[in-house]
Amino acid sequence: MTTTQDVEMKDNHTPAQSLVSSTTSTLHHLKEIAALIDTGSYTKEVRRVARAVRLTVGLRQKLTSSVVSSFLDFALVPGSEAHARLSSFVPKSDEHEMEVDTASSTPPLASSKHVPVELEIYCYFIVLLFLIDQKKYTEAKACSSASIARLKSLNKRTIDVIASRLYFYYSLSYEMTGDLAEIRGTLLSLHHSATLRHDELGQETLLNLLLRNYLHYNLYDQAEKLRSKAPRFEAHSNQQFCRYLFYLGKIRTIQLEYTDAKESLLQAARKAPVAALGFRVQCNKWAILVRLLLGEIPERSIFMQKGMDKALRPYFELTNAVRIGDLELFRNVQEKFAKTFSEDRTHNLIVRLRHNVIRTGLRNISISYSRISLTDVAQKLRLNSANPVADAESIVAKAIRDGAIDATIDHNKGYMVSKETGDIYSTNEPQNAFNSRIAFCLNMHNEAVRALRFPPNTHREKESEEKRREMKQQEEELAKYMAEEDDDDF
Amino acid sequence: MDPQLTEVSQQLERFKAAFVRKDYSTCSDLLSRLKVLLTKFTSLPPLFENTPNAAQELTLARDIYEHAVVLSVKTEDQDAFERDFFQLKPYYVDARNRLPPSPQENLILGLNLLRLLVQNRIAEFHTELELLSSATLDNPCIKHAVELEQSFMEGAYNRVLSARQTAPDATYVYFMDLLAKTIRDEIAGCSEKAYDYVSISDAKQMLLFSSDQELLTYVNEEHPEWEVKEGFVVFQKAKETAPCKEIPSLQLINQTLSYARELERIV
Repeated sequence: MTTTQDVEMKDNHTPAQSLVSSTTSTLHHLKEIAALIDTGSYTKEVRRVARAVRLTVGLRQKLTSSVVSSFLDFALVPGSEAHARLSSFVPKSDEHEMEVDTASSTPPLASSKHVPVELEIYCYFIVLLFLIDQKKYTEAKACSSASIARLKSLNKRTIDVIASRLYFYYSLSYEMTGDLAEIRGTLLSLHHSATLRHDELGQETLLNLLLRNYLHYNLYDQAEKLRSKAPRFEAHSNQQFCRYLFYLGKIRTIQLEYTDAKESLLQAARKAPVAALGFRVQCNKWAILVRLLLGEIPERSIFMQKGMDKALRPYFELTNAVRIGDLELFRNVQEKFAKTFSEDRTHNLIVRLRHNVIRTGLRNISISYSRISLTDVAQKLRLNSANPVADAESIVAKAIRDGAIDATIDHNKGYMVSKETGDIYSTNEPQNAFNSRIAFCLNMHNEAVRALRFPPNTHREKESEEKRREMKQQEEELAKYMAEEDDDDF
Repeated sequence: MDPQLTEVSQQLERFKAAFVRKDYSTCSDLLSRLKVLLTKFTSLPPLFENTPNAAQELTLARDIYEHAVVLSVKTEDQDAFERDFFQLKPYYVDARNRLPPSPQENLILGLNLLRLLVQNRIAEFHTELELLSSATLDNPCIKHAVELEQSFMEGAYNRVLSARQTAPDATYVYFMDLLAKTIRDEIAGCSEKAYDYVSISDAKQMLLFSSDQELLTYVNEEHPEWEVKEGFVVFQKAKETAPCKEIPSLQLINQTLSYARELERIV
């Protein structure tokens, strides 16, 4: 299915003036980018290539098959192996033929000199972007596999930026067609070579892709093993760092290390760019669950963030049930939104929440009653079990041992007596809390001072001696005036 | 049929016969011999080659390991259980497409979950749980283990003990006994915080002893700080809270000094 220019020219020309101008400008941009990549590869400057990739992202929406095919004709030698392979992925289009004339008018770049490798890889990138945006995932799969095969033979630092994008889309195309497990081996070997070549951006991207791969199949154990052994360094890309934090948070949650998980998930939600709504929603869902499991109730404002309230609605109702401590309500919410929870794969976490609901319920009871019989406790907790009183008794005993409530049980008479809560201000508690807050503020102040960057010290010393004396005098007068005022009050 | 294959199946039959006879030492010998024979098959993990007899070899190997796991339960060897289970796991996970599902799979998975619970490796318990699909979770063997963990976390220990009766299989009994011991310690810990005193008969019931004597030996060995007088077990709870009146001076000094230092730094 190769498109040749001769075939296109013979077809009917459809008049589409405005479309033509936009496609020509897209093509024009692409050509500029190609030139940029050319100079970048020639001078071996990575940042030019990085800039080229960034510019491409802006053009993504405007790619059409004709633009892509004409760009391919422009950039690669027609008839070369790479060109044939890539053109086979771009579907033959029989519209917008007018701009073909303009394309053919500019001589193709490739015919004059040797095509730089970066440009070829960049072409792979453009084709892949186009295919994925068109949702042609099987073709994208084939294209990305071809690009990975090509990349394996190359070892230039200038390609790293484009290569990492290619890895990402490679994984994405496989994920969309449901074959993620196949590429695990390839990803691992790619990570291996990236580490050997000190390609840090590639390493980061591949590590995230591998973690995503494992987590997709719920292989938390293997993910953790990989993550703990992989070399860590300063993050090169903010998006990759956010992703890494999210995956780390997920792993830690499943391993019951809730404090670490909370930190990672909240950081990921904060650092994520505002446009990444889906990602932030996911982060927030997990963060809410972790906070519930830790025993704290997230504030209402989290659920009301722009664009997220519908997605977070089930979790809002869940938080409500946990806050009230009502097992019946909790069970209802769990059943009502069972589908959403299983889609989000948070089902198991929610099962763990049952314990928290009981604890909160117990705490409420203990605070409101000074003495209450165990049968009533069982009734209020709505435990739904065969032997409620004995169950309630052991649950209360465990809660007391864990320090959740302050009470004693009288076994013979079968009731629970809450202890006096006591005056907390007479202990050291307020002081410790106060101290931690002061330390935090001071820490922040020190960090802010360290982060200050002063403007270059150009003309600071121009203030003359006289002026300074004058100002000092004024200050002294002001101080004296204020002191007098104070005296007058008495 | 392949001569190697026939030999392995014969040995397996002998193994099963010895197992039924409860001749565990013969079983262990046969097992080690079987494992050596298995190394000759290349279709097994980690190689997973596609030999013509692959399906049969895989099924045989899986069978052998399943029996090994059950044997380790009978001989009460937890390390052997763990080793054999790890070797069995690839058959369940990676080779899932190549083999018909094993009837013992859920049983063994349930046993493993129970073992993790008994050894108090709750994080691994949950990690394993994540790997199971929702269909597997409804299976009684797995459900039993999951509900057990929940009751354990909540503190409804009597439910855990009653679950012993409803164990889906006889092999579970070993772990349930171990669990009972852990629970006894837990109950003791909770009781000493929650109750001021308990009558001996109540203590006996709570801690699941059948006679007063057992209770007394237990108290003497594990909890010497409890006192037994007048038919009551008194938990040592009246630790005076008087010393909390003293001021932690060193800590205060340190804190105030740090405040002063930071204040001076503010320009």
